[in-house]
Amino acid sequence: MKNSRNILDETPFQTAGPFLHIGCMPNKIKINNLYKNDLGEVPFKNKNEIEMITVEGSVFDGNGIALDDVMLETWQCDENGQFFEDNGFARFIPDKSTKKFKLLTVKPGQVENLDGKNQSPHICLSISSRGLNMTLNTRIYFEGDDLINDPILSMIKNDKVNIDSLVAKKIKKNVYVFDVFLQGDKETVFFDM
Amino acid sequence: MNVKSLVKRNYKKQPEIDFPDYKSSIFRAPKNKKISIPSNLEIFGPIFNKKTIGELDNDLTLNFSKNKNSPLGHKIIVHGTVSDQFSNPIKGALIEIWQANAAGKYLHQDDKNPAPIDPNFSGCGRSLTSSDGSYEFLTIQPGPYPYPNRGIEWRPMHIHFSIFGESFGQRLITQMYFEGDPLINICPMVNSIADEKAKKSLVGKLDTSRSNIQNILAYKFDIVLRGVKQTFFENRQEGL
Ligand SMILES: [Fe+3]
Repeated sequence: MKNSRNILDETPFQTAGPFLHIGCMPNKIKINNLYKNDLGEVPFKNKNEIEMITVEGSVFDGNGIALDDVMLETWQCDENGQFFEDNGFARFIPDKSTKKFKLLTVKPGQVENLDGKNQSPHICLSISSRGLNMTLNTRIYFEGDDLINDPILSMIKNDKVNIDSLVAKKIKKNVYVFDVFLQGDKETVFFDM
Repeated sequence: MNVKSLVKRNYKKQPEIDFPDYKSSIFRAPKNKKISIPSNLEIFGPIFNKKTIGELDNDLTLNFSKNKNSPLGHKIIVHGTVSDQFSNPIKGALIEIWQANAAGKYLHQDDKNPAPIDPNFSGCGRSLTSSDGSYEFLTIQPGPYPYPNRGIEWRPMHIHFSIFGESFGQRLITQMYFEGDPLINICPMVNSIADEKAKKSLVGKLDTSRSNIQNILAYKFDIVLRGVKQTFFENRQEGL
């Protein structure tokens, strides 16, 4: 057993700044022939496109401006609630002209909580950018799923939190909209986990 | 049954999110308190394959050079270890770095600093840590650069680091500074961290032992990710 007094401090965060694409997605900014592919271009290899869902949206700042210099990263299980080490991770940025991001993935299955309760399907989302001194963490749940019995959502619903901000709205078959609000009336719920 | 969980994050040792001295944070930093939830999926995370990392990915002096021409500036080694808060080395951690060239210019269309780009330098590199948690990059000394904040201010010399350990909840994005740089203490991004010791932990130390061997200046920067602890958890029966 290691002594808890010897626990080291976690290295502090610093902002990712406006040029994170150089290190994390060089091909996106035309630094080609360095890496064959940018990491996380597709969350799952070998999945049938017909069974995939699209999650699209924008990240808005406190002025209501949709940002295009943020990096989003997602981590999720597959449709059966299974985790894989080399699948389930995606990394993407909003389109420069439409300011919208688009994630094409499988709808995650239910995953078990520590006490054996099923958590509603969700995708872990992290957001890094200029102006954010720390990476933000949130979750994407899905409209139409049983959100009432989810152990996390029912745990936090009494805290007057904006649970709506965690739910992707279904706009048509297999297409969901998930907008992130960094500030304001609709400020998204961010997690410390 | 043994269950893994992440050590609670100590926000006293982290930067303030809402820190107006750093102007860009004013309309981007969330105002509400973060909601604390137990980690679950975040205990797991993507593991990156050795085969995706190219041989020169951690050598920024060669990975973008044309006809083996060196980028301008003096070469440096940046090395260290990635461990968790219990001093366990983390092997296979993915480190991605990006930096300005010797003139303080990024190879990025949004960089408006009127300094020259270097045709032999992208400022992009990555590496996976070895079994003892160690990593190493060969690069060149980045220059300081001006940027608009409260008027024009200067960033200290730095290298951006993005790190993936074993779990999504350990994810870290930070910057390494260079020992002795007078710009460190007046940088609002650095000063968004109130704790002096935490601030200092971001400063890479001049490592003369390493420098002498390789005839290149070396800096040591050790990284600590959140600890993952095992706790015994009694399996409760349904309905109890
Ligand atoms: Fe920078």
